[in-house]
Amino acid sequence: MILLTAWKNVWRNKSRSLVVITSITIGIFAGIFAVGLMNGTMEQRVDAALNQEISHIQINQKEFTDNYNIKLLIDNKNQLKQMINNVDGVEATTLRTLITGIANTATKSTGVQIIGVNPENEKQVFNLHSKTIAGTGSYFEKETRYNQAYIGEELAKELNIIRYRIDNKMIDRLRKQEVPEETISKLEPFIGERFPSQKAFSRTIEKALSEKETANYGHIILDAAWSFRERSKLTLTFVDKNNIQTGAMFRISGIFDVSNSMFEKRNVFIRNEVLKNLTGIEPDKTHQAIIKIADRDQSKEITGKLEAMFPDYQTRHWKELSPDLAMMTGMIEKFNIVFLIIILAALSFGIINTMLMVVLERTKELGMLTAIGMNKRRVFSMIMAESVFLSLVGGVVGIIVSKIMLLFTANTGINFASAAQGLEEMGFSSHIYPTISNTFFITVTILVIITGMLSSIYPAIKALRLDPSDALRTE
Amino acid sequence: MKKLTYAITVLFLVMGIQISAQDLTAKEIIEKADDKFNGEKSGISEMTMTIVRPSWQRTVEFKSWNKDNDKALTLITAPAGEKGQTFLKRGNEMWSWNPTISRLIKLPPSMMSQGWMGSDYTNDDILKESSMVKDYTHKIIGTEKIGDRVCYKIKMTAKPDAAVIWGHQIRWIDKNDYLFIKSELYDEDGYLIRTETGSDIQKMDGRLIPTRIELVPEEEEGHKTIIEIKSIEFNVNIPEQFFSQQNMKRVRQ
Amino acid sequence: MTNSKLAWRNLSRNKRRTLITAASVFFAVFFALVMRSIQLGSYDYMYKNVIESYSGYLQLQQTDWWYEKTINNSFEYDSEIRETLTNDENVLELIPRLESFSLASSGANTKGVMIMGIDPVKESLLSDISKKVAKYQLTPEAIEKITIDENFSEKIIKNAELFEGNYFNNKERLLTDLGINIDDADKYMPLLEPYCSIEGSQIELGDPGVWIGTGLADYLLLNPGDTLVLMGQGYHGTTAAGKFPVRGLLELPVSEISGRIVYMPYDIAQQFYNTGNQLTSVVLHLKNNDDRAIEDTKERLDDSVPPKTRITDWKEMNEVVIQQMEADNVSGMFMIGILYIVIAFGIIGTVLMMTAERKREFGVLVAIGMQKKKLASIISYEMIFIGLLGVIAGALVSIPIILYGVEHPLIFKGEIAHMMEEYDFEPKLVFESINLYFIWQLLVVGIMVLISLIHPVRKILNIKVVNALRA
Repeated sequence: MILLTAWKNVWRNKSRSLVVITSITIGIFAGIFAVGLMNGTMEQRVDAALNQEISHIQINQKEFTDNYNIKLLIDNKNQLKQMINNVDGVEATTLRTLITGIANTATKSTGVQIIGVNPENEKQVFNLHSKTIAGTGSYFEKETRYNQAYIGEELAKELNIIRYRIDNKMIDRLRKQEVPEETISKLEPFIGERFPSQKAFSRTIEKALSEKETANYGHIILDAAWSFRERSKLTLTFVDKNNIQTGAMFRISGIFDVSNSMFEKRNVFIRNEVLKNLTGIEPDKTHQAIIKIADRDQSKEITGKLEAMFPDYQTRHWKELSPDLAMMTGMIEKFNIVFLIIILAALSFGIINTMLMVVLERTKELGMLTAIGMNKRRVFSMIMAESVFLSLVGGVVGIIVSKIMLLFTANTGINFASAAQGLEEMGFSSHIYPTISNTFFITVTILVIITGMLSSIYPAIKALRLDPSDALRTE
Repeated sequence: MKKLTYAITVLFLVMGIQISAQDLTAKEIIEKADDKFNGEKSGISEMTMTIVRPSWQRTVEFKSWNKDNDKALTLITAPAGEKGQTFLKRGNEMWSWNPTISRLIKLPPSMMSQGWMGSDYTNDDILKESSMVKDYTHKIIGTEKIGDRVCYKIKMTAKPDAAVIWGHQIRWIDKNDYLFIKSELYDEDGYLIRTETGSDIQKMDGRLIPTRIELVPEEEEGHKTIIEIKSIEFNVNIPEQFFSQQNMKRVRQ
Repeated sequence: MTNSKLAWRNLSRNKRRTLITAASVFFAVFFALVMRSIQLGSYDYMYKNVIESYSGYLQLQQTDWWYEKTINNSFEYDSEIRETLTNDENVLELIPRLESFSLASSGANTKGVMIMGIDPVKESLLSDISKKVAKYQLTPEAIEKITIDENFSEKIIKNAELFEGNYFNNKERLLTDLGINIDDADKYMPLLEPYCSIEGSQIELGDPGVWIGTGLADYLLLNPGDTLVLMGQGYHGTTAAGKFPVRGLLELPVSEISGRIVYMPYDIAQQFYNTGNQLTSVVLHLKNNDDRAIEDTKERLDDSVPPKTRITDWKEMNEVVIQQMEADNVSGMFMIGILYIVIAFGIIGTVLMMTAERKREFGVLVAIGMQKKKLASIISYEMIFIGLLGVIAGALVSIPIILYGVEHPLIFKGEIAHMMEEYDFEPKLVFESINLYFIWQLLVVGIMVLISLIHPVRKILNIKVVNALRA
């Protein structure tokens, strides 16, 4: 009954109510959107890590990941895989063998983590294969006589597999991109030169061009000079299970580009059988089982099940595998709430102001109600209810508007190109897709209600203090 | 009749010899040169290695025992700071013994990628066993004179499956003695990565060999490694046990 | 009476409304100032920490060293350089370093490691590594003893088993992880010390003792007191080889580093690498760390350092950190921006309401002959006064809070605190003292108030008395 009255009261002064509601709507919308952006950044990082790097759950021998000791093998890999796949909630499993070694080209060498994979299964768990740079190959799709290796762009640059080359084709590309002739002519003396590294190339370009030209066209020139020969050679050297040095020649079957530079630099993927052949690891053994589950939130639960099934092995879920990811998600969640509270606190002033005016305006009416015996509690509740309704309407509309905005931007994303390099090195992408969890919306709604309630206290108390006789006398 | 047959036979024989000399295929030439270079069952040698860099230069002296092309023991004899270190190569593995720390360490691949003793010789050169004969296809592309030696100029193209990091090589091989006079090593894009030259050809222990070998990495300015062979003995009887970890600690000049 | 006096009277007549509107301005100013202060303070603190503890602001290096970190790219550290550097007015101390790589070996295991040759005393001006020396370890033997000891509850024993093998830099961490209240330290530490203590002493110039990361210690199966064997390539290709007694183990937060780091006195490193009196870098500890001061110092010294060496600044050495800083700053400004939008709408909303409410009052005034312009002017004054009131109040209240916060930063507790400590951050909320940003925020709020004037002024100037009177 009171609620109905309160609701009607809200709409008695349409324009005033609308003003407050609008400011709440805008506040909520802005707040949610900002939170959405932050979540989006985070989600992206988490998704990338899960879909490209670690997936949800990993099982290996205890201490295997401390030093990648080749001897810490898991037996009966097929049986293991089947048992895992039979667990509820598991979507797919892939098995890997790992070893550290050296990758060599004619000019450079560097330490790498060599990962032996089964391409068919990998594709069910990871989407790394979809990150191949166009024209560099096709993951492990082709059947070839030679050994294939799939590496990251940063590693390809490090080993000078990606070269920077100024030749006529590159100049043509620059012309197509509308780089001014003046700039191009400064590059012409270098035609035919190949640069061993990006740094060497950049330094030469910076010397040849003016600062402005470098700033404007630097990255276009870099991109155009990017050159890669398909099926370039690479040798991988490592020790087999008897500690004897071994290795083989591989050809690049694709270069992948993900946001995480460190991941790109460190990992080389080859076929599992090849790695096992070279190292002497028996075909029915493996180092790691990597598991993708259908619902990320069940990670802990399923990990528990798997641990019970395989007590001799170490089973870990993604939060354990990447504690900094876990910490980040945790902190951002807390921060979002704090941010929202601050916004609501700012909005509450508007609400208090409005409710005060409401109370003062209706002094006569309220006075009368009290005079005829409406008890104070009900008056209080009515004021509070009005306040809550005001806030709720504003909040709900704000939520709806943000939901619409989120739907829009969910597909296109928002671009933050300038801070790109720093973000990429940290493993973030510079294209951000805002997201909000449904729980957050619920939290917002609850907070809005609470704000409404708290803001009404002062005005409500004021209403209660009205002396009925005074009230009746007011004009 | 008999005289004609005889004459024709002789003619053929003579021509035959001529023909075979001229028709030695590129592959066979490489095989011969390779055999000469690597073919000895065993040997003991004393060499100096000079490492040249733009701002410094260093010389190391060592004595080396080799057997069967897959076992080698090297003892550093100079300078004083390096003296006494030994390196043992068995197949694909390399150990090092350092008297300063009295430790025997198995060298992991990462150690070798820096170049042995700071030189331009890498892991690839010392431990890898790619075959010049088996891993390449060969073609004679000319004849050239280098110094006072007339050489076959042979292009070796790496077979697609071969485990070699080079794309192709050009080798100048002395026509008379099948010595490697000069080699140019190219990567798959056709850029010259390394040049090796053999000079100062002398007779040692009855055989003709280049006693000075220069290795130049073309992509680094001012870098060079020079090996000079001071003495070499071939076909020495070295027992298997010589190439052991215990011996690494004991071996002296 | 002047318009402003009239405005003032209006305000005092309706104190409540005045105060509430002023309050929303006050709130805006207060929150914006405090939030910005915390943001700037935190960024500054975090990035300063990262930069100061490792690269410092300026370093002297061989020209090519930063892009090609080999031992051959070291430079001669003679008395002339030392003098040139120390004589500079902005340089307080010189912190020498010799960094390179090596192989570490123990039994059958070899591993590539990073060697940090430092001056232990001077290095502590940048970061106190000695705090990272592990003092306790829950070895299997220690856990056995704890299990037998009746003084320890089941819960503590379980925790001990959970953390088997872990190292601890200080007793607080040990107690916390075992689930023992820190207040009970006096009761439990005397029991735990004999079981869990491990040796951890200093490294010093002249002494070949080294510190190694706990990860490396575990891999090579080394304890304090054991010997670390190192072999690698030294200066100009010479062989570097040596044996070093382990003086202590470093418990570091990043496990990748922990597994491959060795700290040794730099003179010992020089002997190991055969570099003679050379270094890979000298960190300059400055008096004044302002951007300006750093640039000036760099320019001055660049001219006087020997050929083949150069002064590198922190921006070059911390590219990634800087971009992260900028990204953070942008997101911080974005958040404040959002706050302003919210507040702006709040102020405008309030003004809208007031205008609507006072329509009748305005109508009456205009009807009895007040010029519209005059009325508009009075109302504008009202708003400006309210705005001023709110702004001044906001500024006045935030100043002491900010100043207090600068002197006594808020200390965090719990999980986040631990995390921050591991990464060498003190778990505190840092404020940025009153600065340019302060004026900026005030200006922005001022502008918002002025913008909010537009509507009432327009409404007044276009008022139709008849309609207004009917309100």
